Amino acid sequence: MSFTLDEWFVVALARTIRPQETVFHGFGSPCAQVAMHVARRTHAPAMVLVEGAMYAINPDPPFIPPTSNDASLKRGAAYSMRFEEFFDAAIRGDVDRMFLSGGQIDAYGNTNVTAIGPAGRPKVKLGGGGGGCNLAATIGQLTVWTTRHRSGRTLVEACDFITDMGHRTPLGTRAELGYTGGGPQWLVTELGVFDFPAGSARLVQLFPDVSVDEIRAATGFPLEVAGDLRPVTPPSAAELAVVRSVDSLGVRKSEFSPRELARVFSHVGGQDCAC
Amino acid sequence: MSLQPQRDKRAGLADAVSLVRDGAMVALGGGLSARLPMAMVRELVRQGRRGLHLVGSAHSIDVDMLVAVGAVRRCEESYVGFEQDLGLAPSYRRAAQEGAIEVAESCCVTILAQLRAAEMGLPFLPVRGIRGSDIARLHPEYAEITCPFTGETLVAVPALRPDVALLHAPSGDRYGNLHLEQPYVLDERFASASAAVIATVDEIVSPEEIAVAGVTIPAHLVAAVVEAPFGAHPASSYPRYAYDRDHLGEYLSAAQGGPEDLEKYLATYVRGTEDGYREAVGAARLDALTTWSQSTSAWKEIFS
Repeated sequence: MSFTLDEWFVVALARTIRPQETVFHGFGSPCAQVAMHVARRTHAPAMVLVEGAMYAINPDPPFIPPTSNDASLKRGAAYSMRFEEFFDAAIRGDVDRMFLSGGQIDAYGNTNVTAIGPAGRPKVKLGGGGGGCNLAATIGQLTVWTTRHRSGRTLVEACDFITDMGHRTPLGTRAELGYTGGGPQWLVTELGVFDFPAGSARLVQLFPDVSVDEIRAATGFPLEVAGDLRPVTPPSAAELAVVRSVDSLGVRKSEFSPRELARVFSHVGGQDCAC
Repeated sequence: MSLQPQRDKRAGLADAVSLVRDGAMVALGGGLSARLPMAMVRELVRQGRRGLHLVGSAHSIDVDMLVAVGAVRRCEESYVGFEQDLGLAPSYRRAAQEGAIEVAESCCVTILAQLRAAEMGLPFLPVRGIRGSDIARLHPEYAEITCPFTGETLVAVPALRPDVALLHAPSGDRYGNLHLEQPYVLDERFASASAAVIATVDEIVSPEEIAVAGVTIPAHLVAAVVEAPFGAHPASSYPRYAYDRDHLGEYLSAAQGGPEDLEKYLATYVRGTEDGYREAVGAARLDALTTWSQSTSAWKEIFS
């Protein structure tokens, strides 16, 4: 069976979800959105899925639409939380995981979704962080992702503006700043997967068509590599089937450049090896 | 303001929107592509309003259009854009980069706390987070405080009391009782935190019908209610109609194209009346947006 990078990437995000977690994604995040449904329909059927801008609990949407605030996304839900019910739960510590992305991401997992360039007169004004600058402090664990690692402009030495806080900002560590959540646990990119063993990103897995040198060249902070660096585990047939049925409109693809969408892999000889 | 739950609040769009003064702090209801108060936004453009301080959660064409025509002094939302699908908000982005608007970007929890303070008549509420984020640098009005009970350092955020909240609902009655579908986003909080609420509804129905459907926002909070069919378009107003992705694309092309293209869009759709707006969009297109409930394939077709 062959599969594409966008499908594999979504599965890699899904696998950061642990079986019993309550999980949330922000708006404008199709890959994370699809990943949560993949997790719930494969390895984490008992998770609590909070659907982004709908605050709907465990919905079964007929498809993922191109906007995060659409009634299709609450179809089949147990109920919808009020806006304040969700955010209250998140800031008092009842939400275990959130997916976060950024136009810039540094080694501590700080993210910038506000502006590239000087804050007073930005070169590019980005959309903004939604709920991130409070939630990044209080949600249990964060899965950070980007589909633009290869550009060389996304994983940076220092963010021009810190919207959502990672393990350490210029003002101090999470403990010093009084945060109650654990911070970034994973950083998943279209090139590989990082963990944060000492509060700083470390490459632990890479996609098989990418070399460590390519990743180093695309990374703005000094690249730390795990001793037991492994290829990303390929998606199962069941995971791929869910990606394709849940995201029949293919909205996840809007996060990728044409070059990344052209990456095709296959399971060889029934093995779990992608070559 | 004394409570007036049983006064007839029906008004025309122009009269209702004239309650918004130049320089007012205006809360925008809905979010992203849903229940944006677009008929009122278009009327603000027609009336040439200036110097507005916009407050909201996550917004798109509503904020971008008001910024495009120079109606806005200060933007205080958690997000302005067209999501992953259609990208950055062109007029908002340009104005922010040129320094033509004050960008007081905020965060959902912070705005929620500020509205709750206003609802309770309190000067501030404390929140966690923000410290360490550069969002704090955009808000010199925030202050760090020490909790008198635990000694914890928290961020005090001041009450936010908009002069007016502009809300759109699929239905309401003549007294201003509004029925909304989930998600309500911040509409309920805006309604009680703001000095006045102006509402558009796709249809004014009987008080009995609203009572059965459920009152989401009660009449005593609402100053005026205007019947404006497709008043959220191109945003959605479920259960009546889905959002119009193609129209958002048309607006974005115009806003990206520069002043001439934008003026052409405004002349075609905005400068006239709401009747003219619906005519320009076309009955066939508007009807198609109401077919979402017929089948999954019909629903998907709207977004393809």
